[in-house]
Amino acid sequence: MKYESQKIAQNFYTFAVVLFLVQTVVGIIAAIQFIWPDVLILNFNIIRTLHINALVVWLLAGLMGATYYVVPEESQSELWSVPLAHFQFWATVAAVGLVILGYVWMGLNPQANSPIFGINPLSEGREYIEAPRWADWLIALSVILFLVNNVMTMFKTKHWTGIQGTLVGGLVFLTLMYLPGMFYTKSMVKDQFWWWWVIHLWVEGAWEVIAGALLAFMLMKVTNAPRAVLEKWMYIEVGFVLFTGILGTGHHYYWIGTPGYWLWVGGIFSSLEPVPLLLMVWDAFRTTRENRVVSNKLGLFLATAHAIFNFVGAGLWGVIHTLPQVNKWTHGTQITTAHGHLAFYGAYVLLVVAMIYITLPHIRGVTEYNQSRGYRSFWWMTVSMVFIVLTITGAGMVQTYMERLLGLDYVTVKGTYNLWFWIFRVLFGFGFLYGVGLFVLDYFRLGREPVTVASARFAEKAA
Amino acid sequence: MSNKGARNLFIFGSIFFFLIFLALTFDTMKQIDARSPEITEAVNEGKQAWHKYDCIGCHTIFGNGSYFAPDLTKVTRDKPAGYLKAFLVNPRKTNPNSAMPVLGITPSEAEKLVAFLDWTSRVDTNGWPPEPVLAAMRKAQTGGIAVYQKHGCASCHIIGGVGGTSGPDLSKAGARHPNPDWHVSHLKNPAGTVQGSAMPAYEHLTDDEMKLLSEYLISLK
Ligand code: HEC
Ligand code: HEC
Ligand code: HEM
Ligand code: HEM
Ligand SMILES: [Fe+2]
Repeated sequence: MKYESQKIAQNFYTFAVVLFLVQTVVGIIAAIQFIWPDVLILNFNIIRTLHINALVVWLLAGLMGATYYVVPEESQSELWSVPLAHFQFWATVAAVGLVILGYVWMGLNPQANSPIFGINPLSEGREYIEAPRWADWLIALSVILFLVNNVMTMFKTKHWTGIQGTLVGGLVFLTLMYLPGMFYTKSMVKDQFWWWWVIHLWVEGAWEVIAGALLAFMLMKVTNAPRAVLEKWMYIEVGFVLFTGILGTGHHYYWIGTPGYWLWVGGIFSSLEPVPLLLMVWDAFRTTRENRVVSNKLGLFLATAHAIFNFVGAGLWGVIHTLPQVNKWTHGTQITTAHGHLAFYGAYVLLVVAMIYITLPHIRGVTEYNQSRGYRSFWWMTVSMVFIVLTITGAGMVQTYMERLLGLDYVTVKGTYNLWFWIFRVLFGFGFLYGVGLFVLDYFRLGREPVTVASARFAEKAA
Repeated sequence: MSNKGARNLFIFGSIFFFLIFLALTFDTMKQIDARSPEITEAVNEGKQAWHKYDCIGCHTIFGNGSYFAPDLTKVTRDKPAGYLKAFLVNPRKTNPNSAMPVLGITPSEAEKLVAFLDWTSRVDTNGWPPEPVLAAMRKAQTGGIAVYQKHGCASCHIIGGVGGTSGPDLSKAGARHPNPDWHVSHLKNPAGTVQGSAMPAYEHLTDDEMKLLSEYLISLK
């Protein structure tokens, strides 16, 4: 670590890691409710809301932490204001805590969500952006403070770099794309139209741009590859992400009451979305091949795994159901859930995990650390996630065939034909939880426990 | 390509595609209202109740949302409003096997929710959800089965594994109620025959239809 203020990243990482654990536990509860709906006093919708909101918040916190690390390093300066960063951190924690309490309260008493001055105080009742309107403003404010702090840092030295510019560009895009989710429309069709601006332009636009910038940073950091080459490919990758991803939004406008031309626009552009993701995989392997000096083997391993699973989860599992001819039958089935899980895991969970393993040793001031627990946690998480996804893909295929093609009833298919898939998902879920547990443990121990002889030698050989 | 060239391609290319996207958005906004029925005050209040109870946390609508419960886009096509209102106010009383919890929906909220769901069912969704292959084939049936299909009994009842779960499984209806007259009076006035029944009444069936249907029902053993 070169700059003292980079330490603030650790606050965000800790918050992220703890929420990751919470997300996984409630995910398992949601999976059990598929078999046994009344297992808890909180209904499925509340548990699911906690699951996906914890996910989005911890990924954002992880990306914020990563940015607070990258920007000072790239600007070659301390952060503009450390107190502001601390304030922004604690304000975010407080707002998120309040929102979570609100969801639980609503679970215990749904009437408590009755509108006050036209605003639902506890939940907006819209997937992923359930956070009530007052919380939207707090979140937006927090993100703006975060952006101001980083942009001012960059202005201080005016030492512009491509990585830093692309990263902040992605973050600004992310902030702007939160706004279309912040107004009420009477038409459910318009509601869903703008809702997809937030959801799709986040995960297939802004967040992928951020991922592209962080991938270049990580590769540079662990292999010492020349910046110019990395940045050139980064521009090409994130460029292609937006050229295909913006109009690719059309793959959500096939069946919601929007005009038929979206079938063409969405089908063609979204089919091209895997191309830049494949380019990122190639970029990771090319950089490794051309620069064989690896300073953090686990870090490089995770960064490459992120690129690969981003391509598989988002690219491949996305493209299989993106053509209108296919999507007509699979839309809104468990195929979507399977894709959602592998895409988020590969593209963003592994991204944040890799960033943590690459930057945390520097923050904690160690050059070598015990890597074996990190590998074990990776394999437990990844193998379990792959099996969850295969299980749910199976459930989705059965559902598509029996419900959509043959016309059997939804409830029958869910209760009878897919029962074993739900049971398998719970079992693999516990495997995933074990992997997360190892990761959280490792996060708190990294650099604070003696390095075993074997892994020290390992690090020596690599250096 | 130079780094600067790649950067400019990224920036200006992205702006270019975003502008096209904005133009399409503008055009779509102009067309949406013509593709959906008028939004009355009841429909709007129903939408607000939809958000208040977080229905999307279990259901999908237009295929988007959660996959824990059936899609509701076209639910009023298959289920009559009276049944849906009774169900929303107390799902477990209407259908004891239902996994939908009692949320505390008031009768007036239920009314508006049904108005909202009726609105979504009339939106032009480019043909989604598609008609299942088997349903299309079943239209060729004759006799009592044809009457059963024609009046949409299968949206609530299962026979031989196929059909909805809102009402009881009829695969053995003939064994439970072997008397055809019982079926006729039940079909004409369900609530008068079975106390608290939420099944819609079918008094408008012709005598021929009624005969074929009740014979078909008692044959199910
Ligand atoms: C906790 C999850 C949950 C929530 C929240 C929920 N539902 Fe349901 N709903 C279900 C399940 C599960 C079913 C399937 C019924 C069954 O098991 O027979 C269902 C069925 C239905 C049906 C179909 C009934 C039939 O017999 O065809 C309608 C209509 C419905 N829900 C409307 C709503 C509305 C409107 C809301 C919001 C006010 C809502 N639901 C909220 C879980 C939920
Ligand atoms: C909106 C849902 C719905 C529709 C449509 C519907 N039913 Fe029902 N049906 C029910 C419910 C709920 C019950 C249970 C209460 C009762 O017995 O009346 C039931 C009960 C029955 C029973 C008695 C079953 C038993 O085992 O006691 C028969 C027979 C039956 N329905 C036949 C039909 C026929 C024939 C049609 C089509 C003309 C039809 N139903 C349409 C909801 C429906
Ligand atoms: C990292 C990137 C991605 C993430 C995190 C992601 C995540 C998701 C999620 C969570 C959903 C479900 C949304 C809901 O709850 O309604 C979804 C839907 C969808 N995604 Fe992705 N996705 C990514 C990339 C892609 C790509 C590249 C494609 C296509 C090539 C794609 C195609 C689709 C399609 C077609 C749907 C709609 C499914 C349906 O009709 O139900 N996704 N995505
Ligand atoms: C222990 C492991 C996990 C289990 C058992 C689990 C279970 C579930 C369940 C049951 C749902 C509801 C799906 C539905 O509505 O049908 C869900 C939704 C979701 N989960 Fe998980 N989950 C787990 C881990 C994760 C992880 C690690 C991620 C992120 C990478 C994730 C991301 C999501 C998303 C985005 C949704 C909502 C979108 C969708 O249904 O497609 N989950 N999860
Ligand atoms: Fe998308």
